[in-house]
Amino acid sequence: MTTSPLAQAVGDLEEDKAIVLVADKLAKGETALDILEELQAGMNIVGTRFEEGEYFLSELIYSADIFKKAGLPLQEELKNSVQSSYGTLVLGTVKNDIHDFGKDIVATVMSSNGIKVIDLGVNVEHQAFVDAIKESGATLVGMSCLLTTVFDDMKDAIAALKAAGLRDQVTVLIGGGPVDQATADYVGADYYCKTAQDGVIAAKKVLGVN
Amino acid sequence: MAETHDNQGAGAPGGFAPPPVFFERMQRLQTAVACGTPDRVPLSLVMDLFAANIMGVSYPDFVSSVDVAGATMLGAMEKLGDVDSIQFPTYAPDVLGMLWLAPMKVPGRDLPEHSQWQMDEQVRIQREDYDKILEMGWSAWFGQYVGMYLGAAAAAGQALMEAGPRWTMEYMKKGYVIFSPLTVDHPFEHIAGGRTVKEFTLDLFQIPDKVQAVLDVIMAEKREQTRHFLRAVGQPGLGYWVGSWRTAPEFLSPRLWNRFVWPYMKELVEIVAEEGGTPVLHYDANWDREIERLKDLPARRCVLELDGKTDIFRAKKILAGHMCILGDVHPAMLTLGTVADVKAYCDRLLDEVGPDGFIMAMGCAIPPDAKFENVKAMVDSVHR
Repeated sequence: MTTSPLAQAVGDLEEDKAIVLVADKLAKGETALDILEELQAGMNIVGTRFEEGEYFLSELIYSADIFKKAGLPLQEELKNSVQSSYGTLVLGTVKNDIHDFGKDIVATVMSSNGIKVIDLGVNVEHQAFVDAIKESGATLVGMSCLLTTVFDDMKDAIAALKAAGLRDQVTVLIGGGPVDQATADYVGADYYCKTAQDGVIAAKKVLGVN
Repeated sequence: MAETHDNQGAGAPGGFAPPPVFFERMQRLQTAVACGTPDRVPLSLVMDLFAANIMGVSYPDFVSSVDVAGATMLGAMEKLGDVDSIQFPTYAPDVLGMLWLAPMKVPGRDLPEHSQWQMDEQVRIQREDYDKILEMGWSAWFGQYVGMYLGAAAAAGQALMEAGPRWTMEYMKKGYVIFSPLTVDHPFEHIAGGRTVKEFTLDLFQIPDKVQAVLDVIMAEKREQTRHFLRAVGQPGLGYWVGSWRTAPEFLSPRLWNRFVWPYMKELVEIVAEEGGTPVLHYDANWDREIERLKDLPARRCVLELDGKTDIFRAKKILAGHMCILGDVHPAMLTLGTVADVKAYCDRLLDEVGPDGFIMAMGCAIPPDAKFENVKAMVDSVHR
């Protein structure tokens, strides 16, 4: 399969080129959905290079910004399209933790990989996760923290999903500085994601996206 | 603004003779730093709210008084048993604002009483500020910035500079060594904190030359300030954190890291070593990619402090005989693990990272909610 010049530009972190190519494609009458697919193919290149150790978090951040900027002219048309995302992720930093850096990175990287993100922010009440899942029908939940002192809040938030009868409907991904597999076992999460890209891989696996 | 503004004052004024155990512990630590094999592996702890928890002190009381913090931490040391050293003698989390140019939120003032302190990270440095720094110089710009955002941080810094020497003496009287009470900060950490990691990362790609010019301006001032500071402190061998948080290789590609991180890091470490201090490389996050690079730093003069994210066993293989390693019982293990987990891990550390050039410790800092018995197991492990 050949890579389109637009996907390649995103993968190579060529910001100006990607923006120009999107404008050209729109001018030629290509649909926003088709262009979006190429941008996402570019993000796949970034993801592969990250996994291969060529790219790092810095490149994930920059590529997500390129994706966002290049995709800006598509937004109006995409609003009307039926299917522009693979699935929905409800995301937040758990109660009693106000750190947003890791959570924000996950939000941008997930979005640029075709996953709709409902970002609940920081210090998120357990019930807010429940409400957002009920409202959106999301099948993915991402919880982040930077403090060991909120592991119990993470555990309680997952317990709240269970109490609301939603636990079987959602896959819970967790991450953050002090989090490890033992933490995931302790809080009852489904996936421990060491990096934002791990989160993308897990989310795509759950959603059945190749 | 001096870069050495973080934790605590430096020395212990004279006028009293520390007990013999102080000298034993000091010798043990110095031998480890020089990559030798001491009579046993020494310990060095970092703690703040954990001490408050085990001593029954409220978080608001702990964070609002350097004397309460000092007394609480000293009490915790005694409760833990035979601990050789603590890295700083008292604490005030507000001071971290001077490192990351962002105010802290602390329990009792900005957060519920039993919350851990946290950084309030927002975009406070705009791209226009780069031009201002280049025009005004770092210290002049920073003075204005402190006035706008970092009043509490500056006050905490002052309080620590005053209380540090006093509390250092109190620890020495009881035989404890204050291992690394001062810091020398990387210019990148300042800007990344005040600008936020995301915006700063975009700057590295979009306006790299300007960012480098700013880092160079900061470094030009730090170079001199650091030398003057170490000379003023005048305690050969004292540890200085030359830390890494947002500068970790895990976050940046080699191209960016080689340009924006390593040259400044290396120079700061060399300055501290040249002036007689012990550079303590408090490196959070994963440094696996660049461990080999640490062989370029002065031999048997630095301490590499790891937080559990870097492969410490591999690091030892690479740096054996060149650099002492300190660490790295993972915070989650101290919080969620069992005594048996901690004992098994410490045994492995002692076998594979010790006994030469190794200091037993937690990864980064003991978390507030660490189980006492787990921390105690780590402390006791060196007496096997």
